[in-house]
Amino acid sequence: MELPITFCPRALIRKLDDVFKNTCNKVYVMNAELENDPKAVLSLTVEEELIPTFYVLLSQGFTVKVRVGCTMRELLQRQLGLSADYIEQRLQTIFLDGKAVDNIDTAVVRNGSTLALSAAMPGLAGATLRRGGAYASMRSQISHGKSKLSDHIKEGELVLKLFNLVARELGPMFLAKGVWLKGKSLQGFLQKAPDSFRGGCRAAELNGQPLDIDSLDKLEWDQQEIFVTVKKTL
Amino acid sequence: MDKILRINMGSEGGPQASEEPLGDYAGLGGRAMTSAIVAKEVPPLCHPLGKNNKLVIAPGMLSGSNTAQSGRASVGCKSPLTGGIKEANAGGQGSQVMARLGYAAVVLEGKPKDDTLYKVVINKDGVAITPDNSLKMLGNYDLIDKINAEYGDKVACISIGQAGEMKMAAATVAFTDMEQRPTRHAGRGGVGAVMGAKGVKVIVLDDADMPTRSPKDPEKFKEANKAFVAGLKKHPITGEGLPGFGTNVLTNVINEAGALPTHNFQTGRFEGAGKISGEAQSEIMTSRGGKVSKGCHKGCVIRCSGIYNDKDGNFLTKRPEYETVWAHGGNCGIDDMDAIAMLDRMDDDYGLDTIEMGATIGVVMEAGLAKFGDAEAAINLLKEVGQGTPLGRILGSGAAVTGKVFGVERVPVVKGQALPAYDPRPVQGIGVTYATTPMGADHTAGYAVTANVLGVGGNVDPLKPEGQIELSRNLQIATAAIDATGFCLFIAFAILDQADTFQAMLDLISAFSGQELTADGVTALGKKILTDERDFNARAGFTKEHDRLPEFFQNEPLPPHNATFTVKDEDLDQVFNW
Repeated sequence: MELPITFCPRALIRKLDDVFKNTCNKVYVMNAELENDPKAVLSLTVEEELIPTFYVLLSQGFTVKVRVGCTMRELLQRQLGLSADYIEQRLQTIFLDGKAVDNIDTAVVRNGSTLALSAAMPGLAGATLRRGGAYASMRSQISHGKSKLSDHIKEGELVLKLFNLVARELGPMFLAKGVWLKGKSLQGFLQKAPDSFRGGCRAAELNGQPLDIDSLDKLEWDQQEIFVTVKKTL
Repeated sequence: MDKILRINMGSEGGPQASEEPLGDYAGLGGRAMTSAIVAKEVPPLCHPLGKNNKLVIAPGMLSGSNTAQSGRASVGCKSPLTGGIKEANAGGQGSQVMARLGYAAVVLEGKPKDDTLYKVVINKDGVAITPDNSLKMLGNYDLIDKINAEYGDKVACISIGQAGEMKMAAATVAFTDMEQRPTRHAGRGGVGAVMGAKGVKVIVLDDADMPTRSPKDPEKFKEANKAFVAGLKKHPITGEGLPGFGTNVLTNVINEAGALPTHNFQTGRFEGAGKISGEAQSEIMTSRGGKVSKGCHKGCVIRCSGIYNDKDGNFLTKRPEYETVWAHGGNCGIDDMDAIAMLDRMDDDYGLDTIEMGATIGVVMEAGLAKFGDAEAAINLLKEVGQGTPLGRILGSGAAVTGKVFGVERVPVVKGQALPAYDPRPVQGIGVTYATTPMGADHTAGYAVTANVLGVGGNVDPLKPEGQIELSRNLQIATAAIDATGFCLFIAFAILDQADTFQAMLDLISAFSGQELTADGVTALGKKILTDERDFNARAGFTKEHDRLPEFFQNEPLPPHNATFTVKDEDLDQVFNW
C-alpha cells in the first residue's frame, strides 16, 4: 500500500495562504459581527515566536460559524478553503463528534458538531485511527458511518479542534482571522502563560480600546465567549 | 558480534565470566536472541528471582553499525511480573556499544551467595566483575554520576535503581542516553528485579578503540542506508510529527477518539488532556529553554525525545513519552505537566516502569488511598516505592498485586501486566493483541507493518470486523521480527506507508549480513520468535484462558462511546493459528 504522503508542507502552506487571501472573505464566514452580543472582542499583536503558544487553545476547540448539513469535504474545501491536496495528504486523522472519519464525502456536518483535524499519528492506535487505513476494522465501534445529507444547508455552528501539525500550519491563519473561545479557557491560558508571554505581546485591544498587557491575566471571562484575533508584529 | 558473554554470579569463589561462540544462536539479535536463550535454557517453572533464571541482554542485529535507528537492545528473562517469558527493549547507547565490543549477548546467570552488590565493567581488554557496596540503594542518576566520575563520560551504562535492588516486579533496567542520563528503560515485566536478584547494579560498557561494525557489502549498505534515512525524513510521522511533539502527540488524538483510559479505565476522555498534550508539552519545553527534539542514541534520525526543564530552566527529565503522560496523567486524573514530569524523573531514578506505576497508582486511587487528580499524593506514593516502605513494596509489585491487596475489581492487567494507554473497548483490535501476546498487555507487541506489505496470511479485508484477528497476528509477527533487528519500532510508520522504505530496510539488513533477506524471511523470523515464546509460556503453565482481557472490559461500557470489548474467546484462540 502506498499513500500519497510525499509532499512539501512549505509549498502547501504557501498555497493555503493564497487560498485564504483569495477566498477567505467569501467562504470563511466567522467574524465578530455575525455573533450576538454582548460578547467581548480581544485583539492581540504578538511577536511571531509567540504564535505557537496559542495552538494549545486551538487544540481545545473553538467555535466557527459555518453552513451545516453538508458533507465534510464541502466544509473543508469550499467553506474553509483548504486545498484538496492538503485535505488528502495532511488531514489523515479526522474525528467528527469523537468518531473516526474514513470518508469525507459521506460524513455530514451537523449543527453543534465537533470536528477535530490531525495529521497522521504514530503507534498502532494512531494507525488504526487513520482515515481509510488498513487497520480501520480495529476500531469499527468508533468509526463514523455514512450519514444522511440534510434536505437544506443552513447556518450553524461547530466546534473545531486543530491538533499537532495541522494547528501549526492552519493555526496562524485562523488566529489572524479570529476565533471564538470559551472565556474560561482563555482566562486559564492567560493566567498560566509563562513570563515570556507578556514580553512577546506587543499590543492588546479589548472591544477596540487599548488594553494594558499586564492586565490580561487579571480579566475575568469565566462565562463569556470571546472573539480573539492574534496577529504577528510586522 | 560473534560471541556471547556469560557471567555466573553464583560461581564458587565469586562471579565468573566466560565467553563462548554463538553456536545455535548464530545470526540472532535482540528479541530473537533473548527469547531463544530463555526458551532453551531457563526452566519454565523456575522462580524468576532464583538461580535458574537468566537475564539476557542482546543488541539488535544491526546495532554497532552505521545503520540509522538501530540502537535498541532487548532484555529477556522469565518475568517476575507475569511468570512468563519477557522481552523488554530500550534505546540509549548500550546496544551500540555492546555490539561494538563484539557481544551478541551478555547473560547473567546463577545467584550470588550473599547480598554483595557488583558492578561489571566490559571494555576491549575484557571483563571485570567487582564488588561495590558503595553503590547500594543509589538511584540511577546518582549512580551514573558516580560511574562517570570513575570511568569518564564516554561509557554506556546499563543499571538498576532502588526498585531493582529491592526486586520489585515493576523494576526496570536503565540504559544511559547520549548525555549520560539514565533515561531509556527496558521497562516492562520486572526485568530490573531479575538484574537485582543477580546482584548486579550496573554494567559499564566502554568501546574505546573498538571499530564500528562493518557491512558485508559496503556499497549496497551505503545506498540502502541513504534511502532508508530519506524515507524516514520524508514521512509525516517520522519526519515531522514525532520530532515536533514526541510520542505524546497522541494524547489529544486518542482522547478525541474516546480511547484515553481515564480514572483507572472508568472513562475514555480526560478533561485535562489538552494541558498535558504533546502540543502543550512542546510549548512548555520551548519556553524553558529545553529541547523539543533529540535522539536517544547515536544514529537516531527520528529524534522523538527531548529535554524537559523545570520552572527554573534546569534539567528535570527527558521528554515524558505518551505512555508515561497517560499513566501518570489521565489515568490518575492529573493534568499538571510538571507533576507528570517529576513522576517520570522519579520512575527513571528508582528504576520503575512508568506504565505499571501509573496503572498501579490509578488502582489505589480507585481504592480511596488518594483522590484522582491529586498530583502531590501520587508523588508521595511513588516516594514510598523508592523508599521501600511496606506500602511502597506493594505498589512496586504492580497493579495486579496492588488490586488484590486493596480489593479493587477494576484492575487493568493481562497476565499480571498493566495495560498501556489505549482502551481496548473503542479500539478492539488493540485489545486482541493485549490479550494474546505472550508478553502480557503490551502496546508494542503488535505494532509494526501490515499484512499488505509483508504478504503474511493473505490479504485482509479491513472492512470486516473478523479481520482484527488476522491483523493482530500479522502485526505481532512483524513486530517480533523488527524487535530482533535493533531497529526502533517507530520506523514502522515509514515502512508501512512507503514500499521503497520497506525495501530499503530489507536491503540494509541484506547488505549488512551478506544474506539476502526477503519479506518471507522477516515473516519466518517473527513466527520463530513467537513460537519460542509461546512454547515457554505453555511449559510455564499458561493456557488459552490466560489470553483474555479482564472481565470488566466486556461488562462495563466505556463513555463516551459506551463501547464494550466484544471479540469472542474462540476468535482470540485463533490468533496464533497460522
